[in-house]
Amino acid sequence: MAAPMELSCWGGDWGLPSLHPESLTVMAYAKFSGAPLTVNTINKSWRTPKGDLPVLVSEDIVISQPARILNFLRKQKYNADYDLSAKQGADTLAYIALLEEKLLPALLHTFWIEAENYCSVTKPWFASRIAFPLSLYLPGKMSREALNRILLTKGGPPLYSLTEVEAQIYRDAKECLNLLSKRLGTSQFFFGDTPTTLDAFVFGFLAPIYKVCFPRVHLQEHLKQLPNLCRFCDDILTCYFRLTVSGHSPAGQDTADANLQKLTQLVNKESNLIEKMDDNLRKSPQHTPRKLTTLKLAAGGEESSPMSRLSP
Amino acid sequence: ATLCFQAFLQMCNLPIRVICRANAEYMSPSGKLPFIHVGNQVVSELGPIVQFVKAKGHSLSDGLDEVQKAEMKAYMELVNNMLLTAELYLQWCDDVTVEEITHPRYGSPYPWPLNRILSYQKQWEVRRKMKAIGWAGKTLEQVLEDVDQCCHALSQRLGTQPYFFNKQPTELDALVFGHLFTILTTQLITDELSEKVKNYSNLTAFCRRIEQQYFEGHERDSAAIAARSSKRSPLR
Repeated sequence: MAAPMELSCWGGDWGLPSLHPESLTVMAYAKFSGAPLTVNTINKSWRTPKGDLPVLVSEDIVISQPARILNFLRKQKYNADYDLSAKQGADTLAYIALLEEKLLPALLHTFWIEAENYCSVTKPWFASRIAFPLSLYLPGKMSREALNRILLTKGGPPLYSLTEVEAQIYRDAKECLNLLSKRLGTSQFFFGDTPTTLDAFVFGFLAPIYKVCFPRVHLQEHLKQLPNLCRFCDDILTCYFRLTVSGHSPAGQDTADANLQKLTQLVNKESNLIEKMDDNLRKSPQHTPRKLTTLKLAAGGEESSPMSRLSP
Repeated sequence: ATLCFQAFLQMCNLPIRVICRANAEYMSPSGKLPFIHVGNQVVSELGPIVQFVKAKGHSLSDGLDEVQKAEMKAYMELVNNMLLTAELYLQWCDDVTVEEITHPRYGSPYPWPLNRILSYQKQWEVRRKMKAIGWAGKTLEQVLEDVDQCCHALSQRLGTQPYFFNKQPTELDALVFGHLFTILTTQLITDELSEKVKNYSNLTAFCRRIEQQYFEGHERDSAAIAARSSKRSPLR
């Protein structure tokens, strides 16, 4: 239908398809909307990552930020928000802004600025995936950019030292996680039973916090105390990403699994509808005897009429 | 931003007096405007002021349940993220506007060359911030499109209700009013930004309603009450 689309992004580990929140958001959205993307993870080749990842290349068009990539996919008719009302679309924008303001600084801090995490996990991981000698330079640059962003957006007075800024951003992040948990409640996705753009963004931000094994993990511990968010991440990973333990997805089974997934969702929806109808019937007692008798009469009528036709 | 606070405090029925000072940024404990001075306490920025007012017993969002409070916080972040950044971009990163309006206005209380130095410093600061969050590469059209999207979202959320969370005004209403009113009434080189907001009639009606109710209201109210009481007495 559309031209072949290629997505370049950071690879994954610890059971995730990608460690980078923005790459993960785009991959999740592509799975939800059924867009056929070939994913190229950055490995030790000389095709160095220029500029920001993830990058979508389709024919001659190169698009770089997640919001713009999602817009492009929507224009190509891969729209996961088709069933949303206008108000839910507005809510999506608002919650994405909340994520970027409150959760992203803490995420960046955990990955790039917290000294133990950075030195023992993040830097070696990213350096192992970039060609030498860029591997000596690029992780440091990403770390400096993250620090810059946090200080410029959050670090104004009265917070004068980095430790105070850190305390504030972790407080904000925990509050944001609590708010997300309250909003999700007991439903499977944020807007009912089908995943949408907001689910892609939340998954993209939460999954790295949830899965990556860092030495200093107070945000992860807080997240683990919110079981509905953990269940949300696990559900998306098992249903949409089908990663085996080694971290490679079995090719060829994906489409069959996706079809099965859609069928089971349809069946679930229908069975929910049938259950609701049953409940309605049961709750209105004055209607049921009439219905049964009309059915019996109808059955009796039907039985008698063919017989009456046959008899003479 | 000052308007947000005035609106918020009016909604809480707290009397306030607005004072303009040139060194206001230095008087504020956090360097950010505006700030309120109550008795011997000084509090600045919307978040702490709301908490301060709440601690004193006035709160606008008590009637909301948890999910609604989450929604309110999310929408407040949207407004801060989009509208505030767009306003800053337009004031400090759009060269035409910067030269003709912002530099003179920002530096006006100070003598030359201090006015130029301070406004260049502020401009450099704002541009650094824009670069860090990725807005530096955006063109004016993209920024206006983002503002349009934000207004569309706010308009959808408001719908036909008088306030964002039905009958009672909340902090979100004060914040949105402050930003939209500023956009609608500030004179810039081009009117594109205010045109974007004017496209949404329920938002303009919302602003007008709050302005009438909370800002022109108290002068009219006292006159109206006097008129009504004089009318009633002959009827009885």
